[in-house]
Amino acid sequence: MSAEQQSLDGLEEEARRALAEVTTLPALADVRARFLGKKSALSGVLRGIGRLEGADRARVGEQANLVKERIEALVSARRDELGRGERERALSETRLDVTLPGLRAPRGGLHPITRIERDVVAFFTGLGFGVEEGPEVETQWHNFEALNMPPDHPARDMQATFFVDGGHVLRTHTSPVQIRTMSGRTPPFRFIAPGRVYRCDRSPRHSPMFHQVECFMVDENVSFADLKGILYAFQRHMMGADVELRFRSSYFPFTEPSAELDYRCLICRGAGCATCSQSGWIEAGGCGMIHPVVLEHCGIDPERWQGFAFGMTLDRAAMLRWGIPNIHLLFDGDVRVLEQI
Amino acid sequence: MRVPLRWLAEWIALPDEAELLARLTQGGLEVEEVLRVGPDLSGVRVGHVLTCDKHPQADRLSLCRVDLGEAEPASIVCGAPNVAAGQKVAVASPGARLPDGRKLQKAKIRGVTSHGMICSAAELGLAEQADGILVLDAAAPVGAPLDSVLAVGERVVDLTLTPNRGDCASLLGVAREVRAHFGGDIEIPPTEAPEQGPSAAADLRVEIADPAGCRRYVARLVRGVRIGPSPGWLQQRLEAAGMRPVDVVVDVTNLVMLEFGQPLHAFDAGTLRGGVVRVRRALPGEKLTTLDGETRTLEPDDLLIADAERAIALAGVMGGAETQVTERTRDVLLESAHFDATRVRRTARRLGLHSEASYRFERQIDAAGVRRACDRAARLLSELTDASVTPGVLEATGDEADAEPVIALDPERVNRLLGTALSRAEIAALLARVEVRVADALASPLRCRVPSWRNDLRHAEDLVEEVARIHGFDEIPATLPRQRLAPVVVARSRRVSEAARDALAAAGLFECMTLPFARPADLDRMGLTADDVRRRLVRLQNPLTEDEGALRTFLLPSLLDVIQANRARQVERIRIFEVGRTFHPRAEGELPDERLALAAAITQGGERLWDMRAPVFFELKGALEQVLEAVGVTAEFVPGGGEPFWHPTSSAHIDVAGRPVGTLGELHPEVAVRFEIDVPCALLSLDLDELAAAKAAAHRFEEPSRQPQVRRDLAVLLPRDAAAGRVLHAIRSTAGPHLVEAAVFDHYEGPGIPEGRVSVAFRLVFQRPDRTLTDAEVTRASERVVAMLADRFRGELRHGGGVAGG
Repeated sequence: MSAEQQSLDGLEEEARRALAEVTTLPALADVRARFLGKKSALSGVLRGIGRLEGADRARVGEQANLVKERIEALVSARRDELGRGERERALSETRLDVTLPGLRAPRGGLHPITRIERDVVAFFTGLGFGVEEGPEVETQWHNFEALNMPPDHPARDMQATFFVDGGHVLRTHTSPVQIRTMSGRTPPFRFIAPGRVYRCDRSPRHSPMFHQVECFMVDENVSFADLKGILYAFQRHMMGADVELRFRSSYFPFTEPSAELDYRCLICRGAGCATCSQSGWIEAGGCGMIHPVVLEHCGIDPERWQGFAFGMTLDRAAMLRWGIPNIHLLFDGDVRVLEQI
Repeated sequence: MRVPLRWLAEWIALPDEAELLARLTQGGLEVEEVLRVGPDLSGVRVGHVLTCDKHPQADRLSLCRVDLGEAEPASIVCGAPNVAAGQKVAVASPGARLPDGRKLQKAKIRGVTSHGMICSAAELGLAEQADGILVLDAAAPVGAPLDSVLAVGERVVDLTLTPNRGDCASLLGVAREVRAHFGGDIEIPPTEAPEQGPSAAADLRVEIADPAGCRRYVARLVRGVRIGPSPGWLQQRLEAAGMRPVDVVVDVTNLVMLEFGQPLHAFDAGTLRGGVVRVRRALPGEKLTTLDGETRTLEPDDLLIADAERAIALAGVMGGAETQVTERTRDVLLESAHFDATRVRRTARRLGLHSEASYRFERQIDAAGVRRACDRAARLLSELTDASVTPGVLEATGDEADAEPVIALDPERVNRLLGTALSRAEIAALLARVEVRVADALASPLRCRVPSWRNDLRHAEDLVEEVARIHGFDEIPATLPRQRLAPVVVARSRRVSEAARDALAAAGLFECMTLPFARPADLDRMGLTADDVRRRLVRLQNPLTEDEGALRTFLLPSLLDVIQANRARQVERIRIFEVGRTFHPRAEGELPDERLALAAAITQGGERLWDMRAPVFFELKGALEQVLEAVGVTAEFVPGGGEPFWHPTSSAHIDVAGRPVGTLGELHPEVAVRFEIDVPCALLSLDLDELAAAKAAAHRFEEPSRQPQVRRDLAVLLPRDAAAGRVLHAIRSTAGPHLVEAAVFDHYEGPGIPEGRVSVAFRLVFQRPDRTLTDAEVTRASERVVAMLADRFRGELRHGGGVAGG
């Protein structure tokens, strides 16, 4: 037995003992370096093989490699053991109080009016209606005259008006957008116009600012029956398939014929309750066929073209959807209200 | 218009009430509510006296057993002499309330418990006094509420009239509407006035000097009127209709106005001078003391009634004090006229004198009914006061309009507008129900004669509406229109504002909406200089409150108010934004410039477990970065917001492609104090129109590299005023083409850092798309960066200058 062979035999035993004493992974790495690293005895033996003679060379080489493999196996086994031990220790040491609150990204939200408006816009753009906005400060021509409300017309009493510098008004409805959109355009066309409107009135039920959407369409044969068809589809989109509608004759200077659209109260189903003021019906908006005078004001020949217009208030729809009892809650920025929407 | 239903029933037979109200509403006369006037007898029931015996302890009392339709008859003590077995009587049970407000209770009368009271007419509020109990008709159903069997009280329908239906501001008008819906005949009360004595024309004449202002003027002289209160039935009618009784003359004119919709005026004929009543324009500066005692200065546009010497009434608006009917009046001149709607409206509005009369004139009255109403009033005065109606009607006419215009109506147009398939005959029949006469249902177009009272029907479309209204809107089919497809174009400003809203909501902010009014005081509180352009306001001429006298030029004050209000409500965590227009005056006569603006705010406070504790500014900036990313633009944040309301060294302005689009910053502590805001907060102000005008950067896809990344962290000591954003920008342009990411991952000043310096740690990530980077390549790039930092920013590496790898 050569010296090399003896030292090789001892080496394995020595490594086994050293590994048994190792308790941490870094210490294991040290041991591995000591027995298998570049400066280890084993590496020395392997490096020295080249200097040996024929038969010795093969034998020592084979043995050294065998020992190397064995030590590698021992290290690997010890590493597994130690790793498992460390994982087990971590497992027993780590502990979360899972009942502590989750870490949430702050939640925000859109205003109820924005959400209702988007519902409305989505429905009408789906039918190919364009979206138009107009100025909130309007000329009296656009807000009144062009809509067949000349000065001294009693219908002006229906809309308490804010007047601003220069004889202009805060628009009292979104209908002037009809005028701005139709003027200079040739039918057929169809548009909606969502926006803010103002009335000089503050009471428990009225805010000086509120929101409307105007919807209008002009073509050669578009009729009141078409208006009804669109509104049925629209109200089903907004309120569900079982909504019941009623058209009631009314008066707007800019439509003829004119009607109010009511829907059966969803709270009491028509029996009468506080939400519908005991009437069983809730007003959904005003509508009608665009008055020929209005078309003429926009340079559209009323003999050839006709169309419908519909306007609704978004605020009331939002209040009903979320059960908000007071319109003023919509506009005072109370975070406790907004968080609930 | 308040319509007592029993009164209406005297004009026309009424259908079932619920059906009546539903049809009126759907036909355009909206029923606002149904009121009840008169004694409320809903708690009193019909009882049947089964037995009537003497009270065991009192001779003059009876003990009755009364069937009220319940399981057991009630035993009731009654003191009336006329009570007898077999009678039907009115019984108030314990708990019922009598018309005088008394609530009935069980009572022991002379040792016997009485379960209620048999009522007299007086106790029910039906008579001043009564000798005994009220005995009802033997057919009255036992147990029924008394008001169902006795004509007491009155149900009054309150109708909301649209401005076009002035013709319905009368019993006659509503009766016509009932007939249109249900058919039937209208019974008009008698109007012929029995004439006596010499003709009025001998003493008086009437003239119209302003023919455009008065189409017809009719007057009658009634002599020997005894002024006093009007009879009870007349007073009750007026009260039921919501008018206050005054004296017999005023009450008669009001009654006739309610009946026919024709406002009347009564002059004391004895006060008129010069034997003439003239309709004319007011003279410049002319004065008139009206009935309410006010002396009014008139304008030439005002339509006036005058005698030979002076103004005596504002036509259609209010009478004059000097000629009004008083207790001493003997002879009354009744005026009935058709005045121009616009003139009456202007005068009423200018003087703030809106009355039942002006309401009707403003909506135009029936020119054909002027004479009839005058006759009716004269007749009533003669009936009620023994006055005599002087023969002859004083009458003058101005510009006559076509009383019954003819409108050509193409039946095709009716069906084209409504989407119906009505025949000519059906259309003619529907129009006939509102007394629009079609001479020949075969003619084309239909020639439709409009009745004199429907001055709202002037265009063919108005008749189409009548067809739809009477036919019923519910009868029109519901179809969907056929139309050529066309692309929907949504303006970029709208898409940008919607994207911004979504981004901020996703970043944890709540959208709020506030009123657009500006308080001038807020401009001072914000610290704006005297020449700040935001002080140029669009002012309201009729604001609701002084604080709402103008339109806002920026949104921040509104948001600060919201923060303050929420703090006052003890809300700790306030994260809000608003999108709204701002208003900026332009040249005289032009509409203001309206810009779409966005403001957002985040306050410090309310942090929970493990929350990050970076300054709140960076939370808001992060939200803004999400907005910019959603809009597709990149911005540069330049230190210094340049606004008096920002913290001067904790604010920035925001440039997109070299154009300023807004500013953000922490609130200046002085401004915070002025707005009573007690927590640190950061705010943002953005011009969405500017942002929408900026071109969105083209987004290009890059294939992720398969090669390994090499990371270098550089901790650099920089002067305190070096802007990390600029340093980062410089790093990006120095580090060469293989830098794929550069970020600040730590920012520290304090112990261990020399005075006036700040430690900023940058993380640089290098990667090539084609091959693994060599160590030497990365080191060269890093050293280039370090040299640049030293050169341009006086930056020095910390920890002995090592370039850490990882």
